[in-house]
Formats: sequence, structure tokens, C-alpha cells
Amino acid sequence: MNTTPHRHRNRRRTTGSVLAGALALLLAVSGCSSKAEGGDENGDAADGVRTGPGVSAETIKLGALTDLTGPYATLGKSIVQAQQMWADETNAKGGICDRKVEIVVKDHGYDVQKAVTAYADISPDVVALPQVIGSPVVAALLDDIERDGVLTFPQAWAASLLGKDAIQVLGTTYDVDMIAGVDFLTRTKGLEKGDTIGHVYFEGDYGANALEGSTWAAEKAGLKVVGQKIKATDTDLSAQVSALRKEGVKAVLISAGPAQTASLVGVAASRGLRVPVVSSAPGFAPQLMKTPAAPALAAMLNVVSAAPAVSSDLPGVKAMVAAYRKKYPDSPVDSGVLSGYNAAQLMGADLKKACEAGGLTREDVVKAHRSQKNADTGLGTAQDFSDVDRPASVETYVLKPDAKAVGGVVNAEEARTAPGVEEYLSSR
Amino acid sequence: MTGFLDNVLNGLALGAVYALVALGFVVMFKASGVLNFAHGSLLLFGGYLIAVLHDDLGFAGALALAVLATAALAGALDRFLLQRGGLDEQSAHIQTIVTIGIDILLFTDLARRIGGDLLPLGDPWGDAVTELGPVTVADSRLAAIVVSTVVIGTVFALFRFTSWGLSLRAAAEDLEAAALMGVRLGRVRAGGWALAGALAALAAVFLASFPAPGLERTTGQIALHAFPAAILGGLASPVGALAGSLLIGLTEALVVGYQSELHVLGEGFGDVAPYAVMLLVLLVRPTGLFGGKGAARV
Repeated sequence: MNTTPHRHRNRRRTTGSVLAGALALLLAVSGCSSKAEGGDENGDAADGVRTGPGVSAETIKLGALTDLTGPYATLGKSIVQAQQMWADETNAKGGICDRKVEIVVKDHGYDVQKAVTAYADISPDVVALPQVIGSPVVAALLDDIERDGVLTFPQAWAASLLGKDAIQVLGTTYDVDMIAGVDFLTRTKGLEKGDTIGHVYFEGDYGANALEGSTWAAEKAGLKVVGQKIKATDTDLSAQVSALRKEGVKAVLISAGPAQTASLVGVAASRGLRVPVVSSAPGFAPQLMKTPAAPALAAMLNVVSAAPAVSSDLPGVKAMVAAYRKKYPDSPVDSGVLSGYNAAQLMGADLKKACEAGGLTREDVVKAHRSQKNADTGLGTAQDFSDVDRPASVETYVLKPDAKAVGGVVNAEEARTAPGVEEYLSSR
Repeated sequence: MTGFLDNVLNGLALGAVYALVALGFVVMFKASGVLNFAHGSLLLFGGYLIAVLHDDLGFAGALALAVLATAALAGALDRFLLQRGGLDEQSAHIQTIVTIGIDILLFTDLARRIGGDLLPLGDPWGDAVTELGPVTVADSRLAAIVVSTVVIGTVFALFRFTSWGLSLRAAAEDLEAAALMGVRLGRVRAGGWALAGALAALAAVFLASFPAPGLERTTGQIALHAFPAAILGGLASPVGALAGSLLIGLTEALVVGYQSELHVLGEGFGDVAPYAVMLLVLLVRPTGLFGGKGAARV
């Protein structure tokens, strides 16, 4: 009898101390985060520029959520180095808004959970994200990014990322690329009404969006599309090639990774299915030109891309490639270098514009970004960021593998807008 | 008809490669009662060694070294790590879980080294093909069929005609009785693991050579397709592993080859098909195609 109230009191005391502990923890956590966001949140710096998270009187901090240890490690390293080069160049010229630019890099290894943690970790300290690698990563962070209003340039090009104020897909989306791919086939490879084309595509946003474009364009051109859905772990496409051959395809589109492109083209060539193959931009990497499939790739493959080849003659590209090779002599120059540097320059232009308008808060940066109707970095085509629902550009280059060229590709066709793209965009 | 023959040949070649992996699963299971979840990473290890060594040693030298190294690694993992947990059947379950940990360690390090690269193995077949009547088949795939047949035949002969094979079969039947008869369980077990490791390194060559573009960090995962093959064959039966592998290889090739006709089953059915076949077989024969008493261990 005597023990019960005692025990009861004991328990109550425990509850009380747990509550107190939780409260202390909560205070500590919120203390931490308010400290992390900086004391100058939404304040005015000495020079009268409005500042927010990530911006102090001396520095502007940008964030990069990248993959340095996962499947896109090569790409991630290229982008990180290219953007660091941009930051160094910018700082050497006095920085932006009299502030030094600093890029905080976080590696997520293409793991969505790590990426979410990394975002929570760095987002209070940065004003914008010029690099986020990985469609699933971007998809998982969409709501957070929109809520926080952090201007973000994802390294993913699905049309589902359009329509978000703070998120900017640079260049074209996958569907627009594939419309250009079908146009390239009918224009230069002699495909005619009634012909069948194959489309090998990854499951997920990337493949689905690309297929949307190819299906639409094929219907307009009177072609029939035979789809073959694959996974990232499929690296032997023999069975897919057999199926496509059986359908009598006159050309094949592929929206997958470099390994899949190499297998598809290599197998098709060896089985006598010598038809033109057009790949989405992520489906090619310079390393492919060292595989046994290289001769077949050189003969059969074209790549549709919003960015020109790194070997192109554009003065801006040439200067960038030369500077990159000088700074990182041991690193390959691939499309990631170009897209990363381009993204950083566009981000720099937004920051400058925001500064001129008197503020560097996240809101100011997004506003400045959306006011850019003709952003041209000299690294390809100009982009229009004013309409959130439209791809920033609809012009695409056609590239061609060349083992001897820097980056393994050369321009086969200069940038052009495929007929039908406008109609497609307004019909969506 | 050409399409059908094409698919069948594709499937047989795929099955021959899976058989090397599935036989590894079976040998290890027979020897130790442990299901090795690290097998895919062992395969990746072997492939990675060939990829980095073939420039200096030539393909044959690199292959020989990789096969030996992978065999040594697998044998050592068993001898110095798993066997510490005991040799009885009860601890085999715990050791199975341990292999998941080994897999994570091995894979993480290899994946870090390989990154996003696509490593050619320098195999002699390149992208050459041979015309067999109406169908065209990659030389590497023909080589896979020939090599697998020879190797698997050799392994069967080892089981049948060597004292090690006899010890292994005895241990698989009854551990205690075998030990009492003087079978040195530890050595026999580690020998089985080493053999499986060698088979995995060999399989890596064929999984990474044409029509695949080279060794990737995910190459080891492809080996897991051999898992349903080993199970539906009856896990403790080498003949079953062979039959299961051919069945799975054919199923995959045919399902993908006839994807457009099979679209009622949904796209991407090719990935699920091996498991569907496995379930069907197990429904009819719960111990697998050739599973006997040995499968009671599961």
C-alpha cells in the first residue's frame, strides 16, 4: 500500500524532468538555428543593401547539393570544380556587390535521405543553390525549396519541375529535346510517314517526360513509337534490340544513361540494325569513346542537347575550357563542366541584378532571376526566365561523338528551334 | 522466327553467365549453410581487379590474378570471419546476416573507387559477332556459353571425383557425422567459398563485356538475378542451379523480347519475371526443381 503513491510520485517526477529536458533541448535547437541563420536576417548591411540568410557584409554564400561518391560522381566533380573556378574568377574581380562569393558543397552520393539532411544542414546559411544533382533528390526537396524560396538550379530537366517560382530548369526540358530529336530524324535521316521508331527510356521522370515529347512529335510526323522501358541497372540491351528489330524500327531514340546508350548502339550495330540513334543529353559521356562500342557510336549516334559541345567554337566556351584545363589539368572536360559553369554565371548575373535593385534577400534574388528575359552567358543559347511555366530555352544543338574532340563530341548542327515546339508547349 | 531464335540464344547466353554466379551461391550454401549476400560485391571485386590490371598484365594475366585474388578473399572471409561464429547449422543463419554487412563494406569501397566510370575489361572478344544461320550472336556471349559449360563441368567433376568433393557432400548431408568421420569442416568450407569466389570473378568478365559497355558500380547487382535461379533450382543442388539459371536467362530474354505483346502485364515486366517464375516453381515444388533433403536447411 505504502509503495504505490511513492512510485506514483516518482513517475511524475520523471515525467517532469523529461519535459524539462525536452524543453531545454528545444531551446538549444532553436538557439542553434537562429544563430545559424545569422544575426543580420532581413537586416540592412552598412552599404544599404537588404540582406537575408546566406549574405553578410563580406560574403555571399551559395550551396551545392552534389554527388561526389555515387553514380554521378564524375558529373558532380566536374560541376563542383567548374563552379569553384567561377567563384575564384569572380572574387578575383572584386566579387559581387562588394562581397566575396563562397560555395558550400555537400555530397549526398545520390541518396535522397542524405540529400534531405544536407539541405536542412546548409539551407539556413545560403542564399541560393546553383547546383542540385539528381531528379529524385530534387523531387524530394521541391516543397522545402519552394517554402524557403531558395533560388535553385537543378541538374535535372524534367518538365514536371517547371511552374515553381524558386526552381529554374536551365535550358530545355527532356520533352523538348526529344521533339527536336524526332525533327532531326525526319529532316536529315529520311524518316517518313508510316515509319516506326523505337524509344528506349529510363523509368521515372526523365524517361517519362522524354517519351511524352517523342510521342507527341511522332504523332505529328505520322510515325509510330515503340517504347522500351528500362532500369539504370540494365546494361545489356540485347533483348531490347531484338524487340526493336522485330518491330522494324527505322531509328531509335534513347533517354537513359551512358552505359545503356553504349550497349544499345553496340548491340544494334553488331546485329545489323544500323539505324540512326538519337540520345538525350544525359545519355552520353566522353568515357563511352573508350568502350568497344566507340566505332558504332561514331557512326550511328547523335545527341540532342541544350548546350553546345565543349569542343565548340563559341569564344566563351573556348575561353572557359582553356581556363578549366589550366586550373584542373588532370580532370576530363565534359558537359558537366559547361553546364556547371553556365549555371554559376547565370546565378552570378541574378545576384548582380538583385544587388543593383537594392537587396540580396532570397526574395530579391528570385525576383531578379524572374526579370531576366534574355540571359546570355556566351556559353550557348540565351535563356528567358520570365515565364515559370515555360522551359528557359527551346533551342537545341545536335551533337555527334568524336573520340578525338575535347569532351568526346562535336557540334553536328547549330542551335535551332524544332518546328512544333511552340505548338507543343501551348498544348500542354 | 529469327526474332525467336535471337531471344533464345540471348537467353541461353545470359543463363550461362547466371549459372556461374548461381553455382557459386550453391557451392557456398552446400559448404557452409550460409547464403552469401556479399556475392555480388565479390563479383564486382573480381571485375574491378581485371579492369585496373589488364593494361599492365594483359587480359589473361589480369584474369588469372583476379580469379585467384577473389578466391582468396572469399576463402579468407569465410575462414577468418564467418567460421569464428561456429560451424554448426544454427550459426549459419547469423553468418548469413553477417554477409549483408560484408556486402555493404565491400560495395561501398568499390563503388567509391569506380564512381561513375565505365571500365573496359580489355577482353579479347571486343564487339565481334558471329553469324549462326539467321541469327547474329556476340562472340563474348558464345565464349560465355563455352567457358561456363567447361567450368561447370569441372566443378561437377570436383564434386564427384575428388576427396574434397566427397567431404563437401558429406558435410552438407550431416555436419556432425562428417566431422566424426574425420572431415576437416573448416578447410572444406573455406575451399567451397574460394571456389565460389573464383566463379564470381569469371562471371564478372562476361557480365561486363560486350553487349554490356564495361564494368560499372551496378554490375554486382546484376548478379542478384542469379539469386532466384539458385533458389528455384533448389539451393543445394548444382544441377538445379544450372537448370534454374537457364530458365531465368530464357525468361528474361523472352519477356523483354516480346514486351510489346505482353504489355497487358505492365511495362518493365522483364524485371519481375525471374521472381514470378521462381514463385511459380516453388508453388509446385516447394524445395525447388532439384531440391532434395538438403534444402531442408532453408
